[in-house]
Amino acid sequence: MPSAESSFSAQKFAGYGVAAVAAVLVLYPVFFLLQAALDVGDPQVRPPTAYGLDNFSGIFQYPQILLNTLTVSVAATVMSLVFGFVMAWILTRTNVPGRHLFEQLMAVPYYLTPLLGALAWSLLGSPESGFINQVWRALGGNDHLIDINTAYGIAWVMALFEGSVAFVMIAAVMKSMDPALEEASQIMGAGRLRTMLRITLPLVVPGVLGAAIFVFAEMLGSFAAALVLGTPSRYYVITTAIYQLVQQYPPKIQIAAAMGASLFAVMFFMLFLYRRIVMAGSYVTITGKAFRPRVADIGPLRYLLLGVCLLYLFAAVGLPLITLLYASLQKIAVAFPAADNWTLENFRIAVTMNAVRSALGNSLLLGFATATIGVVLMGLLAWLIYRSRLPGSGLIEYVVMFPQAVPRLVFAFGLMWAWVVFPIPIYGTLSLLLIAYLTVFLPLGVRTIAGVMLQIDKSLEECAQMCGASWAFRVRTVTIPLLVPGLVAAWLLLFIASIRELGASILLMGPHSKVITPSIVESWFGTSSELTAALALIQTLVVAIAMIVLVTITRRVGAHPVE
Amino acid sequence: MADSKKSIVTRRMLLKAGAAVPLLGMAAPAVLAQAPLKSPTKILDFMTNADVAKAEQEGQLVFYCHENEPGTAGIMEGFRKDFPKINTSYVRAQTGALYNKIVSERSAGRFDVDVIQLSDLAPAVDFQKKGGYEQYLSPETGAYKADHLSSPAGSFFWTGVDPAGIAYNSTKVSAADAPKTWQDILNPRWKGSISCKISASGLQFVQWYTLRKLYGADFWKEFAKQNPHAFDSRVQLFDRLAKGDDLITAIGEYPAYILFKDKGAKVEFVAPADGLPATPLIVGAVSKAPHPEAAKLFVDWAMSKRGQAWYQTNPNLYYGSVRTDAPPMPTGVRLGDLKLLYPADWDDYAANRDVFAKEWNGMIGL
Repeated sequence: MPSAESSFSAQKFAGYGVAAVAAVLVLYPVFFLLQAALDVGDPQVRPPTAYGLDNFSGIFQYPQILLNTLTVSVAATVMSLVFGFVMAWILTRTNVPGRHLFEQLMAVPYYLTPLLGALAWSLLGSPESGFINQVWRALGGNDHLIDINTAYGIAWVMALFEGSVAFVMIAAVMKSMDPALEEASQIMGAGRLRTMLRITLPLVVPGVLGAAIFVFAEMLGSFAAALVLGTPSRYYVITTAIYQLVQQYPPKIQIAAAMGASLFAVMFFMLFLYRRIVMAGSYVTITGKAFRPRVADIGPLRYLLLGVCLLYLFAAVGLPLITLLYASLQKIAVAFPAADNWTLENFRIAVTMNAVRSALGNSLLLGFATATIGVVLMGLLAWLIYRSRLPGSGLIEYVVMFPQAVPRLVFAFGLMWAWVVFPIPIYGTLSLLLIAYLTVFLPLGVRTIAGVMLQIDKSLEECAQMCGASWAFRVRTVTIPLLVPGLVAAWLLLFIASIRELGASILLMGPHSKVITPSIVESWFGTSSELTAALALIQTLVVAIAMIVLVTITRRVGAHPVE
Repeated sequence: MADSKKSIVTRRMLLKAGAAVPLLGMAAPAVLAQAPLKSPTKILDFMTNADVAKAEQEGQLVFYCHENEPGTAGIMEGFRKDFPKINTSYVRAQTGALYNKIVSERSAGRFDVDVIQLSDLAPAVDFQKKGGYEQYLSPETGAYKADHLSSPAGSFFWTGVDPAGIAYNSTKVSAADAPKTWQDILNPRWKGSISCKISASGLQFVQWYTLRKLYGADFWKEFAKQNPHAFDSRVQLFDRLAKGDDLITAIGEYPAYILFKDKGAKVEFVAPADGLPATPLIVGAVSKAPHPEAAKLFVDWAMSKRGQAWYQTNPNLYYGSVRTDAPPMPTGVRLGDLKLLYPADWDDYAANRDVFAKEWNGMIGL
């Protein structure tokens, strides 16, 4: 067995090695991004000819956009957490019928993507042409019943689809929680609701906080829903404003970069709060004491909760898919189509487009590579930040969170400049997209794995250490087996996130490295909502098949995580 | 079409002499460095200076294009049909983003693209000044007026023209009530139900510039009071129009009008008597192209009657051809039948870009 000294060296080597990789991935493009934010010279000349802070003061010319962004992000985060927490509690802590199936289905809104959700809800809820409003008027109603082109409409769509992220993060924590604590509460006479509020909720605080921080940052950087639903009502948020600023000629990249860089401050403040809360209390729920995860029998109430699950999935999955299918079969999508309005032409055109022919294959390949490499890299980073005693590990957390704090559209500019001048010719290839995905998804992967890691009692590793196990042996035999559910969740999340990625891809994909979601956005810009609906359905079908295969495999791995 | 007028094309010289001199100076080294041209050869039904066998050996053409996805794919499909041994790939983005991308790539020493198509003359001239275009004089150049070529000829040409009038939803607006003139779009009855394009659009810039010249700066200040909705592409504008989300669009592009009429949409087009603002669609082979012979072949094909017919009749393009011998568009209308409005002074036009972007962004709620 290796000595403690060599074990420490291996730990240091692995820790600092992975930290160096993360630092290069994040800081290299961030340098170029900050350079752009401070560039007050000719925007088309690089490197910059003059530096200053004018771009930051320029942000305050857009007070309404800042307010809009905050309104939408807060509303969407609150809604997402409610959806995520309620669904996680129902599916992990109660005996609701079909909960295993629902658990798998909860991933569907996430890979359906907010873009597709926004497109479908736009077809449903636009004040004039929305199907719901057309039906409303046909029934004798006046004006419109709902208006999806508002701040709360945008937040609703974001929350429906990001709610599944919150669900995955919170459910991973709930699954790993010893039910004895809840049982003790009930034995002492507390009701189910009181137990949930007084025992379950406080125990999952790190998971909920992690989800809140992640989802809020995701909402700040959210682009597709605001683009599809906000633009028609002149409701701009930071990302859609940035998109307009960088699209025009000459592009206003400096002010866009300054907007992105300013979000660092908000995110850092939230991260600081998160660390304070986590450090202040003990949230360990997996200990050396053996337990079997059990669910509460809630009697007939389970059918009511089944209705809640069905309602959520209908709003997030069923209704959008039905709407897209209905629209994709029409020449011009209306609620009450005439016989000559039906067509299969949209599907015929869709299968001839690059988006389906090559982009979908590239996306699946990238998803697999990002998830596999990402789980190893991000698992090590999570261990480094939350478990190792190496100096500087706290700093790494801030580095890892950088990409989450910047809209990907802006971060992509840093990535583009960084890798276009890189001596190895990877610009315009799938390798660049892989690097980009590994960078922008660092926060997602690390947060997901860390949510579980924080609950594992350090004493288990310490016990192994006291018995003389080396660091590598401890990680392999103690830490990783305990982490398997979290790692599996992270793998799936990274896979899905890669396939639906938009902001970074839209600027970095080259003629030979097209991926699917930006191609769908391009379709929305340049074709019709009917053809875009057809594209979206084809993407959904292919990804669904891939997911079914992968989930079948990973369920076998995750079925008995703790031996 | 509800209203159309006889042709009075107001296009003047592409660039004033003062601007052309420095351009010549910038382009001169590339011209001098070029090998003497061999005699053109005939391929299919057009002439080319490209070595076709070599182009097929290169086997690839990389195209950067402002056009939407089906339109860009359509252009490549037309070329690939004629030259199946040359694979095609493309990147499409709005002109502003596309131009920024190519400039960033080239400043970093990346030369991945062969041909670029832009929807705005200003960045094309800027790219020419930077030495971005390959100096290649196509044998098809003779079929174009000097106004429709770069100055000097050889950097780029107008592969088509995109004109815009006013369009309206004919189920919600009667022909009698529909706007007839540009001033009619300022009628308060259209407030909140009128659309336009974003400032990244080359055509929107041309419309802003030409109507400002006609009616004064207050025209757009009045238009701002209409709270217009701004969108990226012509298809989005007509999609909303067809569904009744907007009653009229202030920038109804003729190609999109034809496309939506074909689909059975209840939309109509109005050509105001004062003219239709129009933007050129600019194509040129870029310098240091990885597939130079394929790039030249594409330029020759695009300039040829054959290529122009493809551009003019593809439903996702419907570009009006400026070839002197161009046939009518699918609707029977010739580009020359329309009164087109171009900036009279392209230098002044380019110099007003920032003024336009600031005013337009403020107007559309940014």
